[in-house]
Amino acid sequence: MSPIPATIGDFSVLPVLIPSLPSFPKSVVHYIYVRRNAPKVPTADDSRRLFFTNVPVDSTEVHLRSLFTSLVGAGRFESATFEHERKDDNSEAPSDAQPLHAARLLAAHGNKKRKRDDAEEVAERARDEKAARLPKSWTRTLHRSGSTAVVQLADEKSAEQVLKAIGKLHRGGSSSSSKKYPVWPTTLDAKLVPRLGTSWLKAHNVLSYPSKAALQTAIDNFSALFSRREQEAAELAKRLRNEPDENGFVTVTRGAGRTAPASMTEAEEAKRKMLERAEKKKAEMTDFYRFQLRERQKEEQAELVKRFEEDRQKVFEMRAKRGRFVPES
Amino acid sequence: MEPVSAKRRKLEHPISSEEVALVAAASTGLSRSRAFILEAEELLGEVKLSYGTALQGVDDLLHRIKGSIEAIEPHETLRITHAASKLEKKHKIRVPFPEPKPADDSNYKVSFAKPTQFNVVGSYVSKTMIKTQKDHGVDMVVVMPGDIFQDKDYLDMRYFYKRAYYLAVIAASLRKDIESVAQVLFEYLNGNPLCPIISVLPTAKTDDSTAQNSESPNKKTSLDYHVRIIPCSSNNLFPKAKLQLGTALLRRGRAEDAASHPTPFYNSTLAAEGCFLSYLRLLRQVEKKCAGFKSACILGRVWLQQRGFGGDISEGGFGHFEWSLLLALLLQGGDSKGHATLSTSLSGTQLFKALIQFLSVTNFGEKPCALGAAVLEQEHAADAGPVLFDSTRQLNLAFKMSSWSAALIHHHAKWTRSLLNNNAADQFNPTFILKTDAPLQNFDLVARLNYDNTPKQTTEDECRGRAWAFSNKLYRILRRALADKELGERARLIYIQTPRHPSWPLTNSSSPPKNQVMEIGVLFDSVNMARTVDRGPPAGATAEEKEECNKFRRFWGEKAELRRFERDSIRETLIWSSTSTFEICEEIMRYILGLHLRIGVAGSDLSFYGNAFSSLVPFKPTDLGVFNAARKDFSVFERDIRDLEDLPLHVRRIAPICPELRHSSVKPPSFGSSKSGPQPMDTVISFEASGKWPEHLIAIQRTKAAFLLMIGNLLEKSKPGHIRTHIGLEDAQCESENVCFLDVIYESGASFRLRIQSDLEETLLERQVKDRSLDQHIRTRATTLLATFRRFYTHLPLHTQSISTFVTRFPALSPSIRLLKHWFNAHKLSCHFTQDFIELAALRVFLLPYPWDAPSSATTGFLRTLLFLAHWDWRSEPMILDTSGEMTAAERKAIETRFQAWRKIDPGINHTVLFVATGHDGTGVAYTTVDGQAQPSKVAATRMTALAKSACRLIKQEGVTVDPRRLFVPSLKDYDVLIHLSSKATKSILKTYPTDDPSRDDEEGSGLTKSRFKNLDERTGQDSLPLVQHPAAVFLDQLNAAYSGSLVFFRGAPDDATIGAIWNPQMQKRTFRVNLPTSYKPAVEQSGEEEIMVEVNREAIVAEIARLGLDLIERIDVKGE
Repeated sequence: MSPIPATIGDFSVLPVLIPSLPSFPKSVVHYIYVRRNAPKVPTADDSRRLFFTNVPVDSTEVHLRSLFTSLVGAGRFESATFEHERKDDNSEAPSDAQPLHAARLLAAHGNKKRKRDDAEEVAERARDEKAARLPKSWTRTLHRSGSTAVVQLADEKSAEQVLKAIGKLHRGGSSSSSKKYPVWPTTLDAKLVPRLGTSWLKAHNVLSYPSKAALQTAIDNFSALFSRREQEAAELAKRLRNEPDENGFVTVTRGAGRTAPASMTEAEEAKRKMLERAEKKKAEMTDFYRFQLRERQKEEQAELVKRFEEDRQKVFEMRAKRGRFVPES
Repeated sequence: MEPVSAKRRKLEHPISSEEVALVAAASTGLSRSRAFILEAEELLGEVKLSYGTALQGVDDLLHRIKGSIEAIEPHETLRITHAASKLEKKHKIRVPFPEPKPADDSNYKVSFAKPTQFNVVGSYVSKTMIKTQKDHGVDMVVVMPGDIFQDKDYLDMRYFYKRAYYLAVIAASLRKDIESVAQVLFEYLNGNPLCPIISVLPTAKTDDSTAQNSESPNKKTSLDYHVRIIPCSSNNLFPKAKLQLGTALLRRGRAEDAASHPTPFYNSTLAAEGCFLSYLRLLRQVEKKCAGFKSACILGRVWLQQRGFGGDISEGGFGHFEWSLLLALLLQGGDSKGHATLSTSLSGTQLFKALIQFLSVTNFGEKPCALGAAVLEQEHAADAGPVLFDSTRQLNLAFKMSSWSAALIHHHAKWTRSLLNNNAADQFNPTFILKTDAPLQNFDLVARLNYDNTPKQTTEDECRGRAWAFSNKLYRILRRALADKELGERARLIYIQTPRHPSWPLTNSSSPPKNQVMEIGVLFDSVNMARTVDRGPPAGATAEEKEECNKFRRFWGEKAELRRFERDSIRETLIWSSTSTFEICEEIMRYILGLHLRIGVAGSDLSFYGNAFSSLVPFKPTDLGVFNAARKDFSVFERDIRDLEDLPLHVRRIAPICPELRHSSVKPPSFGSSKSGPQPMDTVISFEASGKWPEHLIAIQRTKAAFLLMIGNLLEKSKPGHIRTHIGLEDAQCESENVCFLDVIYESGASFRLRIQSDLEETLLERQVKDRSLDQHIRTRATTLLATFRRFYTHLPLHTQSISTFVTRFPALSPSIRLLKHWFNAHKLSCHFTQDFIELAALRVFLLPYPWDAPSSATTGFLRTLLFLAHWDWRSEPMILDTSGEMTAAERKAIETRFQAWRKIDPGINHTVLFVATGHDGTGVAYTTVDGQAQPSKVAATRMTALAKSACRLIKQEGVTVDPRRLFVPSLKDYDVLIHLSSKATKSILKTYPTDDPSRDDEEGSGLTKSRFKNLDERTGQDSLPLVQHPAAVFLDQLNAAYSGSLVFFRGAPDDATIGAIWNPQMQKRTFRVNLPTSYKPAVEQSGEEEIMVEVNREAIVAEIARLGLDLIERIDVKGE
């Protein structure tokens, strides 16, 4: 057997030995592919970060930490971010929720939301988010098979060392090499990592029913946040009402005069009604003149012929599939 | 260019004749019937037999036969026994005398003279044979000269004795002359034991044909055919008046009263003997006059053949010959005034439809039907069985039929007619293509009777064979027992399948083979059959009433007893102890047959089939009650919520959406199982429209959660101690999905899961879908969410409602659905199919039951659904179910168009696999798409079709004796990976308590803490938490999410402990890239490959699954290890 390649492209191949379990008594090798982190938008910490792909589905930070300890010794590993955790950032967070009309106003006015870069605002946001978040129903989430992770190490040197250590694994005889492979930790302390299997599923069922008080708090926090946003939006609307934009137009906003502009739902309703009325009027005018009647009859005849043609076509197609017309025996 | 006037322009564009024809053809009728005509034409072309090649050498053989017969030496009169023994001595031929054989001392005289005429008759001459026929027979009639008979020969079988002798002489000569090329056998003409005939089977091909065969060995040039030689009499041998149906012609050796008993079968057979040539002439005439006649005959032959009818007595006695005669007579002059009933200008399909109409309207099994200007003598015809009287030739065409075969053909004709009237259904396939003679698919109950063991009874009445006499008696008893009008007909149809009489060699005498079985099929009236108490005639004082009671007692024996009912009426009563429809029927049949015919007593000679399927799912008669109780609990729940006073909004509707609340879960809803936490039944609630919902999806979800919390608290307050509620979190992927549900658990054990519908949510999602300015992924997600929303809050409530309605309309629907779901479970398919789809598939055979009518038992319902699934070509056909009963043609058209559009944009069938549209949902994907994924996927759908096909094949091959368990055995060897779950571990998850600490580990936690908790639970009487979902299902969801690309998992019922999985064959060796769809390993390098390839690391994936399951998984089997 030819040896496993040490690198594929710019990825180093990290073989990990998976110990056997009673239900599948066979030890196998899993391959993680590692390279230096090189995102499209570089950040300052890229030099001490490693990009992992094809991490095992049950990976946690604890797992990776232990893996690094066996590779380069303790103290090098700092943190790990998994694929779906990063994705969460993009998706809507509850604290982002704001009334639709506010969002529309902002968008329409070209007044991009201020970048809230200052640390205080970020912290506040995080706090809001945390308070409004619903309780989790899993002790541990799984990753999609073949997914990625970014690992942050203590310093740039550690990253170098890790890559070197991976390279080292591939040296030496192919037969003995698998013994040198780091072992995937399966017997971690349950205090560090919640166990999978029965207790995991059991915990899920328990966690799926959070205490009513906790849930109520989360919902209340969210409502408070949401109404604050609504408030802000109202204020913004008020401000915009008095402020012409660069073209000199004043935006029509909610609550301007005594007769407020209708909500979106009302507007849609009105439109539907109008269409209905138009439809009705149209229906009254059909078959009014003789030529309309004649034309309709002609159309019907044409339709009939068309359908006949279609039927013929269909039968013809069915004939192409052999055996459709032979009685079963 | 010259300007032309408007008139001129018109003239210049005359409509071509082709166009005119097209318009004419198009305006003949509705689209469906046009398609039917076109398809029938295709069928005619397809089944057409090419006579030249298929029946090669027939003419030659016929000539040789004719020559051989003509060369026979005539001889003078001899005494019959003498002549017979001479024949036996000389040629070793046993004369096939009908029973009873002539006595040794009888001095009837027989002689032989040259036949007056030879003629080839039947479908060979009219060229109406088809390819798919079972056997191709060429009929040759030999007209016996009149002078070998005497005037009184119509009496006492004398004619048939002489005929048998005549036949034996011909047989002797034929054997001598054509033994080299053909085998000569005796058989009965259409199973009629009075009429033996000679059957000539060509054995080896003649020399030149073998030479041809060797030239083209692959091409089968000729079919198996046989020539039947039928001796018959000339038309006017006996006066017709003597052969009336009501006369008694078997007199000798009988008691006085028996001698005057009419012998209609004997008389009709005798009359039929003289009619061969006259019917041949009739058919030729009609053929000439009516262009569509021949194709109508072929269509009729196919129709009869697919339903198992044939001219043979054992096949019902109504075959192609009878079909064409009936049609010819109707074309010639059917009504009493001699006018033609049908016009000769009708086309083949129109004639076919007309005859189906005739058969469905004329119940000639019950009421004699005369064709032509004759009036039947009613009193005699009444007990003659089915009568179709040809008044010109004074013959009952249906004399070979029995009452039950007439009833069966009547039913089939009715079903076909209702199909042909239904423009929405596919008319062609059920009419001609489907083979519908499998007894288990046809009948609700099939019993097999081994009648060799039955006590012999002397058959006085007719020389029609013991089997017939016996089955006739059987039928009369069963009919009285099961289809008595006074008691309320339990059975819609009773059919008896008698065994066929095989042909036998010349040297033997005919003897029916041993160990013959008779099959009795019963079609239930599902409401009446479920009755356990039969109320007979009232016991009164008048003589009439007494007579009635006596009759009742005589028939029912000891079972009849007097009982007093409400309003002081005292009646003769029958009480049956069984509970299910099938068992009641079995009990009645066993009792009554044992009483009157002394069969079934030992138990071995009467066996019942058809119930075994439903006994696989433990159907209990109490199930219906349990389902109804669940519905009742639901209405209590609904009332409790509506009664809440402090709700800010009015409740508009609370609707159930789960199978338990529509009578269609495999197991009836069970409350308060001690082993598992409550498994709540899904319901949805909607409120009056309100403008107060926040205009944001996430905010709506949170508001809903707050609402649920409030409902929970109010409910607990309104009935303290009786209700407890838990608010649960959905396993939601994003915040704009539904995030919460409320579980309401009653003290009685009933539990419900409530979700809130908010109209604004739908509007917002619709807006997102339409908004082109949004990101593509947001719009895609909105589309999915919208579909899920509609599924939960629109389709499922409507579906539950309509299934509940249909369950009450069709009593057999609920058990059929449950049996079908059990089948899906057994084959580990149910995780790929929505429950509602399976229900709709079963509902289909009730709404579009063709070629039958709606099933009346679980077995037929289930088997016919399998037949439908096996035949459904979902790649090119949508399934359209008119659940509301008011779907218009335009709607159907729109659905069809939508289906075509789906197939056009997705020719690989990856996104929309099964297309199911109902009256509630025209989109076609509501029942087969869940969370934006096709349910089932193409793989699962293909597997379903394959499994249904093999099940149908098994039923066809094995007949009624099929072991039903074999249909439910999953083939585990098809899976690449088998994950065996530990049932002990699964059970331990079923019950959890709010006090369980999720971070604590059970395995490592000491036994002390465990027992402490156990004590606590017992002491405080704390109730367990409901189950979010069955743990195995939760685990499967996690696996599916992690390995969506590489593995396809299969799992059945919740208690199914084995998960099967197959590797996605599309995951091949590939080049490396960053976002791999699953776990890959570097492939072993091969010389010559430039790039390093990676392949799926299957072992590592399996090891991962083992790690995820830990103690939940007992063992993982990998194929090939």
